[in-house]
Amino acid sequence: MPTRAELRALRRGRARRALALACVVALTSGGARESAAAAPLAHREVLPNGIVLLVAERPAVPIVAVRVLARAGAVYDPADRAGLANLTGAVLTRGTAKRTGPELDSAIEFVGGGVEAGTGRDTITVSMTAQKKDLALGLDLVSEVVLTPTFPEAEVARKVAEIQAAIKRSEEDPGTVAARALGRLVFEGHPYGRPVEGTRESVARLTRDDVVKFYREHARPDTTVVAVVGAVTVDEARREIMARFGSWSRPADPPAAVAAATAPAAAREETVKRELTQTTIMFGRQAILQTDPDYFPMAVASYVLGGGSASRLYTRVREESGLAYSVYSWVAPWRHGASFAVSAQTRTAEVPKVVAMIREELARMGREPVAERELSLAKQYLVGSFPLRLDTSGKVADFLVAVEDRGLGLDYADRYKDRIGKVTAADVERVAAKYFTPTAFSLVIVGETK
Amino acid sequence: MRIAIPLLLIVSLLAPSSARAADRVVAATLDNGLRVLLLEDQRSPIVSFQVWYRVGSRNEHRGSTGIAHFLEHLMFKGTPSHGPKQFARLVEQNGGQDNAFTSQDVTSYYVDIAADKLDLVIDLEADRMQNLLLDPKEITSEREVVIEERRTRTEDDPSGFLGEEVSSIAFKAHPYGAPIIGWMDDIKRVTPEEIRAFYKTYYVPNNAIVVAVGAFRAADALEKIKKRFGRLPRGKVPPPMLAVEPTQNGERRVVVRKQAELPIVYMAWHVPNQKSDDAVALEVLSTILSGGRASRLYRDLVYQRQLALEAGGDNAYFSIDPNLFWFWATPMPGQTPEKLETELSAHMERLKTEPVTDEELARAKNQIEAAFVYQEDSVHQRASLLARFELLGGFALKDSFLAKVRAVTAADLARAARTWFAPEKKSVGVLLPKS
Repeated sequence: MPTRAELRALRRGRARRALALACVVALTSGGARESAAAAPLAHREVLPNGIVLLVAERPAVPIVAVRVLARAGAVYDPADRAGLANLTGAVLTRGTAKRTGPELDSAIEFVGGGVEAGTGRDTITVSMTAQKKDLALGLDLVSEVVLTPTFPEAEVARKVAEIQAAIKRSEEDPGTVAARALGRLVFEGHPYGRPVEGTRESVARLTRDDVVKFYREHARPDTTVVAVVGAVTVDEARREIMARFGSWSRPADPPAAVAAATAPAAAREETVKRELTQTTIMFGRQAILQTDPDYFPMAVASYVLGGGSASRLYTRVREESGLAYSVYSWVAPWRHGASFAVSAQTRTAEVPKVVAMIREELARMGREPVAERELSLAKQYLVGSFPLRLDTSGKVADFLVAVEDRGLGLDYADRYKDRIGKVTAADVERVAAKYFTPTAFSLVIVGETK
Repeated sequence: MRIAIPLLLIVSLLAPSSARAADRVVAATLDNGLRVLLLEDQRSPIVSFQVWYRVGSRNEHRGSTGIAHFLEHLMFKGTPSHGPKQFARLVEQNGGQDNAFTSQDVTSYYVDIAADKLDLVIDLEADRMQNLLLDPKEITSEREVVIEERRTRTEDDPSGFLGEEVSSIAFKAHPYGAPIIGWMDDIKRVTPEEIRAFYKTYYVPNNAIVVAVGAFRAADALEKIKKRFGRLPRGKVPPPMLAVEPTQNGERRVVVRKQAELPIVYMAWHVPNQKSDDAVALEVLSTILSGGRASRLYRDLVYQRQLALEAGGDNAYFSIDPNLFWFWATPMPGQTPEKLETELSAHMERLKTEPVTDEELARAKNQIEAAFVYQEDSVHQRASLLARFELLGGFALKDSFLAKVRAVTAADLARAARTWFAPEKKSVGVLLPKS
């Protein structure tokens, strides 16, 4: 739908787009603080019931961003209930013990704030933004949503219909169609292979009982991370969070376990026919977690290949050949698996040429060392652009909960800077030789086909 | 070439007791006409440096639409001192992020980067303001990129496709009727000579605004800007855009069929821009209609009656010339576009006859005001907002805007709705999925 920006402005679109495959947090290429001597990114403490509380004071602007991350994402969907976590997240704000959904909306919007719940592969995250003066109200609403959701039957039915319609409409977006198909091929046999939103058929089968049971099983203090960022002190944040979440008790049984993703038996190709003037090409394979030491050379390699507007793919496919408006590669790490993908959109007649170029550039990455100039550009960009990724309270809060959930530690930013700085051309070549072999990639093509 | 610049420094006249950002803005107009706005923000060691040219698709002519946007792409293709591809390389190498956008009214370039790289960015931007290569070979290959962009945004995107159709029937004299990206045949045809002439005409210091917000000392930054941009000669005053859209005399309608999963309905009315007293009322009205889940269109059409998957409205407050107020809806499966059109019209009629509630009015005002506070959190957004208001006549309008929003009454809203939303003045677009 046309937002003001879309109707009136065309961006050059050189920034990587957020695809369904890409990570919600900019951890893909994020990572280092400007100065190693700087103060820690945030205060961290574990509350008695197991909640990890992270607080970053940013006093200059009178706003506060809050995130409550629950380890209750789509990866926990039962195999025959794809879309259950997503439905649960969608209904979470639609009614609490104290308020109906519309009452909740009116309360927070009256003060110009917002409370949203979003579901990803690993987590459901409740986000709240409000002005400092409205923090108590905002936290009341967040705690009601997290601790006393009522999942009214009528609201579940509404969201089922809405999600089904949204899935139907997304079928007209070639990028979404491609990402969904690629996810299925790359993570075959693992819950990551199923779309977070489920399918129209799987969502049709979901009931209120499923939602209630799912939330009861997966929302628990000892796997919850709370970040409070903005015009607030650590003491104030602790007091306000303890007052609302302190009596949430930890269940005796252990949290649900998820198996790590393992590579599918073989790479596959799939074509989805659509009546379009342009064809979407998407290559993908499994990659490595952020906890793996090879993650850092992998991030550099991906950046050299297709990360920015100086990258090999951007230069060759877009600048020199005029074959695409968008062409890029990215690493998307989650908690139990990761993917590496390359995508381009080109006029249908040129698909074979662009596919061949991408394969050649993938292979070249593992065959010869990257030039010193390319290596230093990638490293300097990845390290130097980090402060830009944390320039608002909302971005800091997103970063903090993700770092905590992935077990990367609050020093991840500094470690990232250090590790990226040490990556050599030989490291890049070694990692690319291991992970960039063209035949290991599944390929999805969406568009006109012969 | 070098010109001494006696600087005209205009610091905002707002009372120092005001907590508003505008009173800390250092504003100057260089001798060559370049407007400079600087705001110190020391929270992070970064700066957002933006150059806004007062040119967009509004300044284009039939037969060469899309030229402003095409030129924006070519601004990254090098000068004699910074060859092709060097701009992006230098920015990335220094940990910066850059991009640009073209709208109907402006073309804007930004670099967000570590504050100690400010000199580099000033040098790059000043260089490409005057010395762009515009190599025909680069133009040939970039033309294909723009064509691909049009395919992505318009040919293969149902909502982009319909939006273009509705704009084109809503305007018959004013260039706002043409798409920013340009008609496909114009993109294919436009010549390097025309692009060069367009560049020479509009990319002059006296047609640009430089805005920077970040961790610098304003006085130092101003000296640097003065030293580097000050060398550029003032250009001729760009030709004024003279077209005025005549009054619409009857409803206009376009129905298109396209590969899509769900229909879309657009309705658009001609409305005044910020020069009119009604403009702020329309802005508040747009928020009441579609600002969040408590807004009218969401609550009624999406939530209560489940007629629409999405519905909204959008005003054109910042437009240089009077533009369109949009309504849109995507029907839920099983609902028809006719039904949604009727319901959107009913909401419009209700605004004319029935005053909005005190709660609705207060909520909309609070939402608009809070959005301004949230923008303060990002140096990039702070800089963009200053530029947007400067384009309207002065960055300090940002503060009077909020005062005007606070003063709007329910009667103002009803009056604005009655004045501007006459049924015979609407343009309607319907997209039907091709079966």
